[in-house]
Amino acid sequence: MKTKQILEELEDITEQDEAACSLLRGRTFLAVGVIVLFFSIIVMRFWYLQVIQGEEYRQLAETNRVRIQSIAAPRGHIVDRFSREIVTNRPSFNVALIREDSIDLEDVIKRLAPVLDEEIEVLWERIRAGSADPPHLPITLKEDIDWQTLAYLENNKYKFSGIRIEVQPVRTYHYDDLAANTIGYIGSISRKELQADGEQRYEGGDLVGKRGLEKLFEPYLRGEKGSRSTEVNARGFEQQQLQVVNPLPGNDIRLTLDAELQKVAEQFMAIGDKAGAVVVLEVKTGKVLAAVSTPPINLEHFIGGISHKNWQALLDNPRHPLINKVVQASYPPGSTYKVVTALAGLDTQVVDTNTEFYCPGYHRFGNRVYRCWKRGGHGMVNLKQAIAQSCDVYFYQVGQRVGVDRLAHYARILGLGEKTGVQMEHEKSGLVPTQDWKKRVKNEKWHEGETLSIAIGQGFNLVTPLQLCVMTATVANGGRHFRPQIIESIVTPDGRVVKSFSPELVNELSPREQAYVDIIKEGLLEVVHGKRGTARGVRIEGLRIAGKTGTAQVVRIARYKGLADEDIPYHLRDHAWFTCYAPADDPEIAVTVLVEHGLHGSSGAGPIARYVLKKYFSHRLQTEGDNPEKSLSLVSE
Amino acid sequence: MVRFDRRLLFHFDWVMLLLLVMVCAMSLFNLYSASYPPSPYGIAPYLKQMYFFALGIVVMVVICLVDYKELHFWNYFFYVFVVLLLVAILIIGRTAGGAQRWIDLGFFNLQPSELAKLMLVITLASYFSRKEVVDGYTIRQLVVPLLLTMVPFVLILLQPDLGTALMLVIIFVSMAVFVRLRFHVYLIFGVSGVASIWLAWTKVLKPYQKMRIQTFLQPDKDVAGQGYQIMQSKIAVGSGGKFGKGYLEGTQGHLHFLPERHTDFAFAVWGEEWGFVGTLFFLGIYFLMLIWGLYSSVYVRDRFGMLLCFGIVMLIFWQAVINVLMILGMLPVVGIPLPLVSYGGSSLLTTMMALGILFNVRMRRFKNGREAD
Repeated sequence: MKTKQILEELEDITEQDEAACSLLRGRTFLAVGVIVLFFSIIVMRFWYLQVIQGEEYRQLAETNRVRIQSIAAPRGHIVDRFSREIVTNRPSFNVALIREDSIDLEDVIKRLAPVLDEEIEVLWERIRAGSADPPHLPITLKEDIDWQTLAYLENNKYKFSGIRIEVQPVRTYHYDDLAANTIGYIGSISRKELQADGEQRYEGGDLVGKRGLEKLFEPYLRGEKGSRSTEVNARGFEQQQLQVVNPLPGNDIRLTLDAELQKVAEQFMAIGDKAGAVVVLEVKTGKVLAAVSTPPINLEHFIGGISHKNWQALLDNPRHPLINKVVQASYPPGSTYKVVTALAGLDTQVVDTNTEFYCPGYHRFGNRVYRCWKRGGHGMVNLKQAIAQSCDVYFYQVGQRVGVDRLAHYARILGLGEKTGVQMEHEKSGLVPTQDWKKRVKNEKWHEGETLSIAIGQGFNLVTPLQLCVMTATVANGGRHFRPQIIESIVTPDGRVVKSFSPELVNELSPREQAYVDIIKEGLLEVVHGKRGTARGVRIEGLRIAGKTGTAQVVRIARYKGLADEDIPYHLRDHAWFTCYAPADDPEIAVTVLVEHGLHGSSGAGPIARYVLKKYFSHRLQTEGDNPEKSLSLVSE
Repeated sequence: MVRFDRRLLFHFDWVMLLLLVMVCAMSLFNLYSASYPPSPYGIAPYLKQMYFFALGIVVMVVICLVDYKELHFWNYFFYVFVVLLLVAILIIGRTAGGAQRWIDLGFFNLQPSELAKLMLVITLASYFSRKEVVDGYTIRQLVVPLLLTMVPFVLILLQPDLGTALMLVIIFVSMAVFVRLRFHVYLIFGVSGVASIWLAWTKVLKPYQKMRIQTFLQPDKDVAGQGYQIMQSKIAVGSGGKFGKGYLEGTQGHLHFLPERHTDFAFAVWGEEWGFVGTLFFLGIYFLMLIWGLYSSVYVRDRFGMLLCFGIVMLIFWQAVINVLMILGMLPVVGIPLPLVSYGGSSLLTTMMALGILFNVRMRRFKNGREAD
């Protein structure tokens, strides 16, 4: 039965079939070869991707999966020497758009514009500016919205798909524009700054110090950013939180400034919108108690980026609010320079205490006449009287005998002609001219007559208000020259001192020079307290003040001579200086005031110094009812 | 018609069945992960695939009951049926992804182009076994099989589904080469191949198809656009490393970075989760399955059976190779599934039918002798 069946089946197979099949069999082996080949390629490719390049792809997958958002670190605070908060942070609520979450962007923007009080086109402009970024990144549409807007947006969330409120710490200024030019402001990091950031601490949109101490101490103030890692899917929707690293707040900066003193000085400068500077130094340490530059910049304008209009207004302001006049502007020192000339005269034995010169109101030199500010002349004057009355002729005589180069030497040992080294940016070094300097810079020979101008602080001389204050403090301190400092210390938020700055003695005059300085100090006391002193108006009952007035010529045009002060155009009026220290017997502070185009040192700058002194010594003086508010009204009259 | 014999069961290819079950089990596991977390809507893809797998087993059994030689006869109906479906799809087909590929049958979307691949294998096997030429086919002798190929080819191209259409060409070429051709035919094939590529590029290809090819040639040029799929697939596979991220731990797939993760790119999920070792294991099993299929054909004693076995193995092989090379970023993205692994009822059923025929042929080869298993 079985055999029969097999035979039956055998019939089905023909000879031909058998031959053909064996041919095909050869091809089957070829096919096996093809399969082996392709599988080998595939296996090798898997080996390459998974084993050789596996680590790279693993990282790519991580980057795909993990979204890291940084959390801004609260910037360090800026406080005054008594820990009064000048600059701290507050939350700013920003309106941001996440494009991928937005369903009907056109309509949302149309609805949003009036709420934010912005033009629709302006919002689109901002969206376009950020359109190169991935769609899950927020684009800030408006910063720092007010509570009302915030409340409205939060309550009407459903109307604004893709719109999110983000909280960002921003600066808040407890004393308004106090020391604004010195403290400076922050702003969005620029492309250039980003490129310069080698350590990649920053990313676009970060706020960094742009000016002043905010910029200078950026590394301390900025703190360390935190980060939030979330797992996202391919559409950017967050799946789960992976890790949160809290930001580290920046370090606080404690200034040497006395906020209240600074405030008073600024208030007085603000009367009549005076442009200029006030510097107050602690004589025995060189610490800056006040550094006023007016007009101040409006710090609030810089929060969230200054508008073009406001910026242009700053640039166009003829009183140059963007310049920190404490260190970034230099002026001829005028008669305040006579301190230098006096010291030079004494130390070079050209004059002594008793040397007298006759002042007829002018001094003839070569074929020119050099005038004294007092037309009628001072008559016979000695050094002390010359200082007290600011007799130009006396100092012409001294300067002529000392010579420009020796004058320069004494200017330098009193701290002029070079940067003081205070922690403020873009400090100017001023100018102390020498013969050599003129040859080098102007390629001209020095004229003897120019020495006379230099001797009374006109001509090529240039000083910054801070330099002049340092000079005053050095004199007050018996010739001990301290480097001015504005930072007391840098402290972590929990109070640990990171860095502290102690007073630095730059140089000290020789005992002989110190003795001469004492003589000059007597003269300076006479300026305020002497019968004929030029700054008698500054006197405060119960306080002995020593100082020097100065008037820096802006132009020397004869046709303004003899004109009434108010008839001279503002920008051509002379600058007014007053520099002083008190108490005269054991000096604590030096005050220097510069009022641009303030005309006369005694009337233009003196009163401001007076009120600053009054404020500083207020707790020791028993002057009843003489509070700053009242004084303000007095001055404004 | 149905001649069933106890010896058929004795000659059943249990090794092949084991390999098939292993591949299918792995692919179901993989599909579960690829569609994880489960969507609350509809039936999960891995479950659906399981149903089709069960259905496929039934279809295989039914196919095994009938002697494969009957296919000479049944294929006329099959051919006409598939062509009609392909025509119907152009009229009533459901559009998806810019192409008309499905016919909605309610419980599943039938994709006739999948059936067409198998239909072409049977048609060509039938034709070449009946019109036998010993010393190679001339171009004239190839006119009929060429026409038989061109009809579904053009219909599928019109959908348009370039990948599947090209698959038909590959099947035709494979089988034609298998039965031997004259030298001039190779020449003509070569020349017309180059010519048609040129023609296709300038006249026929739709912009999105050109884009795919351009993207493939320069995938790094735009990571977020067309090159995205290739890039993400490579990241998925590569990030698997030596041992993989672990089952259900793949991030590329679960976070939707990987496109088409349970269909065309399903194997990338496997690669990500099981790493090089797991991939090697899977490819090994798959490779054995293909080789075993060819091994079966070696002992077949008739031309038709042999051609069927060869065609079916090649059908599965070429699809697998193209799909995996695509996942590995070595070929442009074309909609070719990995048989038995990619989710899709039509593809799975077709593959199971094809394997059914393979079992069928092997079961019935005892007619000639007593070769041992």
